[in-house]
Amino acid sequence: MPDGEAELKCLMLAGLDGDATAQAALLRALVPLLRSFYGHRMRGAREDVEDLVQETLIAVHTRRESFDRSRPFTAWLYAVARYRMVDFFRRRRDLVSLETMEMALAESGFLTAESFEEASSARMDVDALLGTLSSKQARAIRDTHVEGKTAAEAAAGAGLSESDVKISVHRGLKALAARIKGSRK
Amino acid sequence: MNTEQLIAALSAEVPRVPRHALAKRIAIGVVAGSLAAMVLVAMVLGIRPDLDIAMRSFAFWMKWTYSLSLAAGAAYAVSRLARPAPGNLRILWLLAVPVLVLLGIGIGELARTPPGEWRALWLGHSWGICPFIVLALAVPIFAGLLWSFRRLAPTRLRAAGAAAGLAAGAWAATIYCLHCGEASAIFVLTWYSLGILLATAIGALLGPRVLRW
Repeated sequence: MPDGEAELKCLMLAGLDGDATAQAALLRALVPLLRSFYGHRMRGAREDVEDLVQETLIAVHTRRESFDRSRPFTAWLYAVARYRMVDFFRRRRDLVSLETMEMALAESGFLTAESFEEASSARMDVDALLGTLSSKQARAIRDTHVEGKTAAEAAAGAGLSESDVKISVHRGLKALAARIKGSRK
Repeated sequence: MNTEQLIAALSAEVPRVPRHALAKRIAIGVVAGSLAAMVLVAMVLGIRPDLDIAMRSFAFWMKWTYSLSLAAGAAYAVSRLARPAPGNLRILWLLAVPVLVLLGIGIGELARTPPGEWRALWLGHSWGICPFIVLALAVPIFAGLLWSFRRLAPTRLRAAGAAAGLAAGAWAATIYCLHCGEASAIFVLTWYSLGILLATAIGALLGPRVLRW
């Protein structure tokens, strides 16, 4: 099963040129990639994962005009996949808890991302989200949830008390969760 | 439906996607909406009778250059934001250039006019309705862009909505020039821009709702 950027992009380009066999091969090759992408993030809610995989395949197929041939395929794919997941949470608004926010942030760190492109574009998403918070909250969340520092390390770096960092993280995450819930009402 | 059946169903139909398909789709939306706006101008407001003379004047081309450059820049913004992961959008600050140029022309205009006439220059004959006509003409163009977005994949919906509103407003202003006889830079800078800004703001408000996919 092809799973590298070069092979996938080759199939995508052939599909764009009208090659149905290549398109089917591409969609098939994406299934395991997307299952693992969503599997990690949905904590094993298997039906949800499969729903998301299918929704993403449909999006990849019906919105392929939005792919820029001069840019990497996997960056596009994971941007679509991430959007489908955010939309999924939006539709099930009650599921957007502090825990899912924490998960989403942790996954955006460089260490866990599947590829450099994905990591860097996820990083930009996080920057945009954190940019909506106060700089104190944003820094506290970035240190503890993206960079993986402990509260004590973050406190030392920012010149704050440890409880101050914890409170900033908590309030910041709450604000982010509220933002994701509220922004699509 | 299981995933394998879904893949079979999807790949039963694989139309060729031409290069620049995205740009074409956005252009079709803009052109269709603009034609509708033009029909509205012709039927409801009337094309200005002196259009052929006006088209040889500085004022007309000043207005068109302003609105067309905003319109082209905004269409580019739409094309970027219609893709997932639009990347770095800092280049969109160039949209400030036409505004600054027009501001320069406006200041020159004021310098050449006695202060007693500034108010008339600024308010013209139609300041009260101009922004709202621009906004109204933006509606069909925005609708055209919504059609374009149906096969595209914006992920920053508020920004994409704002860009679509800006493009709709700026194309609407361009078309409104076919009717409107106002000739001062300071008028255009204030009241045309206000209409365009209203369209942008409404686009930003609607984006997350109407561009979801």
